[in-house]
Amino acid sequence: MNLESEEKNAADEFSYPGLGDVIFMKAEKFIETVLNWGRGWSLWPVTFGTSCCAIEMMTFGATKVDADRMGVLFVGDSPRQSDLILVSGTITKKMARRLINVYEQMPSPKYVVAVGACNISGGLYHDSYNTIAGIDRIMQVDVHIPGCPPRPEQFQDAVKVLRELIQKNKIERYDKRTS
Amino acid sequence: MTSELVEKLKSGLKGNITVISDDGVNDVVVLSDKKLIKSAAELIKGTHDILFMLTIVDRNPNFELNYLFSNYRNKNIIILRVNITQDDYKIDTVSKVFPSADWEEREAYDLFGIEFKGHPDLRRILLPEDWPGHPLRKDFEVTDDVRNWTGLDLKF
Ligand code: SF4
Repeated sequence: MNLESEEKNAADEFSYPGLGDVIFMKAEKFIETVLNWGRGWSLWPVTFGTSCCAIEMMTFGATKVDADRMGVLFVGDSPRQSDLILVSGTITKKMARRLINVYEQMPSPKYVVAVGACNISGGLYHDSYNTIAGIDRIMQVDVHIPGCPPRPEQFQDAVKVLRELIQKNKIERYDKRTS
Repeated sequence: MTSELVEKLKSGLKGNITVISDDGVNDVVVLSDKKLIKSAAELIKGTHDILFMLTIVDRNPNFELNYLFSNYRNKNIIILRVNITQDDYKIDTVSKVFPSADWEEREAYDLFGIEFKGHPDLRRILLPEDWPGHPLRKDFEVTDDVRNWTGLDLKF
């Protein structure tokens, strides 16, 4: 009896979206697309460099592979004003908490780029007692850059890939912290 | 050529040491009793200025501690060796005598689990504070539990 009445209630409550809802959803999507177009061209990074990969990240920001012309401005390095976190370098277990601490201070939407073999699978330290073997274990990653260390051109490519993903609305999640 | 310091240690510790080398430049002595470490350090303090290294050898199940002292005036060093047995992994701290022992002892505690009695601030120095186990011991194994430990269930 109970079950039947519940089913009935559910059937009563369901309704197809009206014209107003549809217009609202379309408008929301349109605004989101415009915003994402802008976000893709202005990715300010937090440079979370902990070891050797960070040196390549510095080259990425320097004159030869100029990151600024792609909208990746290395300004101030404050997580509160950044859209992107470049996790470059081995993340030890002690550092994992600091990484999450920095990551959670960034405003949404935020994007994560995992740089180097260490952040993809642990790399050299995959069997170590004190490293996180791949930061996928602690947060969701949008773009991986393979290499040990990757060349600065690969950073450039990663930013292009990320920009395309953002502008095509492929990245929908807003707060992507798992665990 | 014999070393003055080794003679001083011999008389000061009433013969409780075994001398391996006493050429005056690289002296190596073994303490027979770990309780004497503090008085030995106090005797060494007159001639040598710093404890520049503390190394631990895991001779499973015993541990061998090597205290390496040096000074600023010449190249002489002395190595003081103490064995601690498996009944308790505890030894007196020398950080009151040689302040540089503070972090050395914290590292030894972190990686080998040796407790230094009377240490002012005995916490882990390299690993996270709530990390399970002491990784440089011979009987430590990297299991899946250790591999998957991220410590992120902690609230901060
Ligand atoms: S991936 Fe290679 S270069 Fe990058 S941090 Fe790890 S060991 Fe260093």
